[in-house]
Formats: sequence, C-alpha cells, structure tokens
Amino acid sequence: MTWDDVVVPWQLPEVVDPISYERVVMNAGTTWDYVPWHYNPRYAKEHGHPTIFVNTMHLAGFIDRIATDYGGPHSRVVRRKVSLLGSIYAGDSMVARGRVVGKRIDTAGDGPQFLVDLEIAIFNQRDELCCPAEVTVQLAG
Amino acid sequence: MTEDLSYEFAFGTYEDALRMVGTRTEPRFAGTAVSGARIQHFASMVRDPNPSYWDADFAKSAWGGLVAPPALLIGLLMPPPWVPDGKPPTASIAVRVPLPGTAIINAANDAEYLKPVLEGDMLSVVEKVVSVSPEKTTRLGAGHFIETQETYHRGDDGAVVAICTNTLFRFTPAGDR
Repeated sequence: MTWDDVVVPWQLPEVVDPISYERVVMNAGTTWDYVPWHYNPRYAKEHGHPTIFVNTMHLAGFIDRIATDYGGPHSRVVRRKVSLLGSIYAGDSMVARGRVVGKRIDTAGDGPQFLVDLEIAIFNQRDELCCPAEVTVQLAG
Repeated sequence: MTEDLSYEFAFGTYEDALRMVGTRTEPRFAGTAVSGARIQHFASMVRDPNPSYWDADFAKSAWGGLVAPPALLIGLLMPPPWVPDGKPPTASIAVRVPLPGTAIINAANDAEYLKPVLEGDMLSVVEKVVSVSPEKTTRLGAGHFIETQETYHRGDDGAVVAICTNTLFRFTPAGDR
C-alpha cells in the first residue's frame, strides 16, 4: 500500500478467525498472562464467564493483523485505542470489520509521517460488539 | 476464589487507593532480551503472516531486525509465574493499588508505539498510577477503575519505544458479596 493508493473512506474485507481452546491456552502461554480465567474453565465459570477467554493482547494482535494486512509489510501500527466491551471465549469466532476513515501527513517530528486512520471492530459470531478500536498505521511513504 | 493468582493483590480502602495516585515505579526490567521465539509464538497464536515477524532478511532490511508485534509489548514485560527465589513475581502497579476487589479485568487500552521493538532489545517499563475512580457497579460486580500509564524504554539508548494508558477494573464478583 502506498500513500497515493489510500482511498478514504474504504471498507476492509471482513475477517473471521475461529478461536479454539488451544488458541486461548496458547494466548496465555505466549503473553505470560496466567490469570486463571485465560486457561481454567472452572475458574472462569466461578467468575461469571461461560468458559476461558482471550486477553487484551490477543484482541490487539488480531486488530494489528487486520491493520498491517491492509498497510502492507512496510507499514507499522503507531497507535491503537481499544475498548473492551465483551469477551471472546473459547469456541467463539472473532469477526473483524474495518474501514479507512482518514489519511494525514504529520510533520511535527523529524520527518513527514504518512498516517492512515482505521476503525476496526471485533464482533463475536453472534454479531455482538466486543472490542471497537481506533488504529493509526504509518506507511513507508 | 478457588485458585490463587501467581501474584499478590494489595487490599485496602478507596481512600488508601487514592493515596497511590501519582505514584511512579522504579524501572522494571525484562529478564531477557526480546527473542525471535516469543515474537513468532505470538504471531503464530494470532495467525499473523506479516514477514516483519517471520522473515529475518526482510525484517532486517525493512526495520533492522525481526519486529516484536506491538500487541505483545505488555507480555514482554510480564514476569514469569515462578522464579527460583520463590518470591511472588512483581505485579503490575495496577494490582498493587490497595482496594477491596478480588478480581480484575481490563477495560480499555490506548497505546502509542513510537519506535519498533526488535529482536535483541532489552526492555524496561516505568508505571504510574493516573487515577482511581469512585466505586462503580457493572454486570461483573462492584469495583473501581484504575488508570495507569506505562512508559516502555529500550536498553541500548534508553529511547522511549511506547507509551500506554490502561484502564483496569478491580472488582468483587457479584456472587461473592
């Protein structure tokens, strides 16, 4: 993706990622986040959840994947703001819907930064909004 | 609660918590440098094919080395759940704010990534308590929202690589009251 190719507004393709128990446990292992409701279904149920669920880092990683799939391998996430409204449980699917909402050149730093603003929201398979995000990616130029 | 967390909560009143607002920690250092193994394990978990995480030659030419996924940053400073001296790992300052709640869940996170973090970087973090809300009741239970700011540095030049503001809900589950 180059700066001139960026069209505003632009709808990104929907991405669906089924989340198995293996992925949730892998989530705890990769992030070293061993709060028990990320690996112990009994503990999760005792705390009002149907089963174990992924942590913020997994949701953010999925959002970043959508963002840099769009921006290309020379792009970089420079800001991400997420709100955690609902959880993605083992057995759920993460459904990402995103759109390009702006492009701007930031000249405040050492050199011009070519920035694209995205809105990416994660829903579950029941179309419940779990994690809306505002993301800014920097393009190579 | 039937299972202990591997780190310890601090317990106290809302007034105790307010006294911690403005507290800033000493730098907390990651035990090891950022590794390609952790980068790729996380990218595998997320199923992110970005060559910045997988292709050492591409990553070196584009960024100077394999890139740590920005979303993994908090995990790169997470203490291991067991250490040889038997002491509980140093927890994030957010769970050391004294409050009555027995459980935590993340509510929001706003992260600015100023520079890429690369394989081999030694990272440290300084945390600050920004605010603690009065008691709020949610569907999970009653508790307090704790806002903290984490500033991440890399070791070789001390550059700030990221600044994150996190909001954590510390609560007593509705059924436990």
